[in-house]
Amino acid sequence: MPKMKFALALIIALTFSVAVAQTSSADHEPPISGIVVGVETDDSGNLTRFAVSDSTGAVNTFTIFDGTEYGLENQAGDRWVSTQGEEPSEAARRLRDHRERFAPITVTSENGTAFSVVEREEGKLETNLGYLFAVFAITWALFFAYVLYMGRKQRVLQHEIARLKCTIG
Amino acid sequence: MLNKVLDLLDPLLILSAALMGVALYLIFVWVPTETNQGAVQRILYFHVPVAWGSMMGIFVVSGSSFMYLWKKNEKWDRLAVASAEVGVIFGAMMLLSGMIWARPVWAVWWTGEAKLTTALILFFIYVAYLMFRAYFPPGTQRQRLAAIIGVIGAVDTPIIYFAANLWSQAHPPLVTGPAADAESALGSDLGTVLLASTLAFSFLFIYMVQTRYKIRKSEDDLVELKRASSASAMTGAN
Repeated sequence: MPKMKFALALIIALTFSVAVAQTSSADHEPPISGIVVGVETDDSGNLTRFAVSDSTGAVNTFTIFDGTEYGLENQAGDRWVSTQGEEPSEAARRLRDHRERFAPITVTSENGTAFSVVEREEGKLETNLGYLFAVFAITWALFFAYVLYMGRKQRVLQHEIARLKCTIG
Repeated sequence: MLNKVLDLLDPLLILSAALMGVALYLIFVWVPTETNQGAVQRILYFHVPVAWGSMMGIFVVSGSSFMYLWKKNEKWDRLAVASAEVGVIFGAMMLLSGMIWARPVWAVWWTGEAKLTTALILFFIYVAYLMFRAYFPPGTQRQRLAAIIGVIGAVDTPIIYFAANLWSQAHPPLVTGPAADAESALGSDLGTVLLASTLAFSFLFIYMVQTRYKIRKSEDDLVELKRASSASAMTGAN
């Protein structure tokens, strides 16, 4: 009987630990890649919050803390690696530079607090096919419509010219 | 029905359609997917050739306008109008494809940077040229003033071409042409596809200008015939 109780307690403990593990892993949100659309600073020019728009157009706002890590490149490709605690105003300047250049970044976060802000290394390849389709469909439709319009106009003009030539004799 | 279809078929149209088929195969099957932007980067093979077409358009408009001012020959005026109308179509495609491309890559449809603004000005130059011709009373005065607009409008072309290099912002720097930086030039696979696509669109541009030129010639012939018809009717009445 004590063995049964021990086994039951072990099962409950294991189930609880798995549940806790799953709950804590749910706090780790998947990284978000996108374009910086907003940078907020305090009176001293130190970064307080920033916003990123992902490929679906959703805007995600992140707060930062002293441990937030940065790995951002300038236009020449020189990488700046630091933390918020070490260079609080530089982070704001770098993110504003990224916003002006539309340079994409990747943010890892938990509950809206950014842990790392780095240069985006790869995009979501599957999510933007709709834009590719839109470009080809809209523009080809316009081209064909214009070519058909010209063909029709030419035929009408030729018919009118032939009719007038007959009238004049 | 068959005659209507045959009327539409022209060697230039067949050539551009064949090249377009090759270009589409290269764009969607042959060339590898760019790792950073993904599939949407393939818009490049459409966006750059139509931008090239719209630039060709303004070159032909200004060149033929200059020739009209010099020679006073109607055919140059017709060529300028035909090229402006096709140029406005290519310009609209360039702006549309650029905006759709910007949305997933830059997260905005439009931004006021130099390259985009000067390209929009080029589109407005085409529209202004065509509107002027549509609303100004017909005659040599209209043709002469339109030709002057056409020549002045070409000033925008080199500004667009060098804009991304002069004012370095979000738009990528030049990837083709004499001023392209070697570091930013496209790799061989991407360059081959871009060349094939540009050739296909160039032939399509020439076909469209040629067809529009013929229409303009027919319109002029029709005006002459109507004049002759009313003159003969008046002679008959007298």
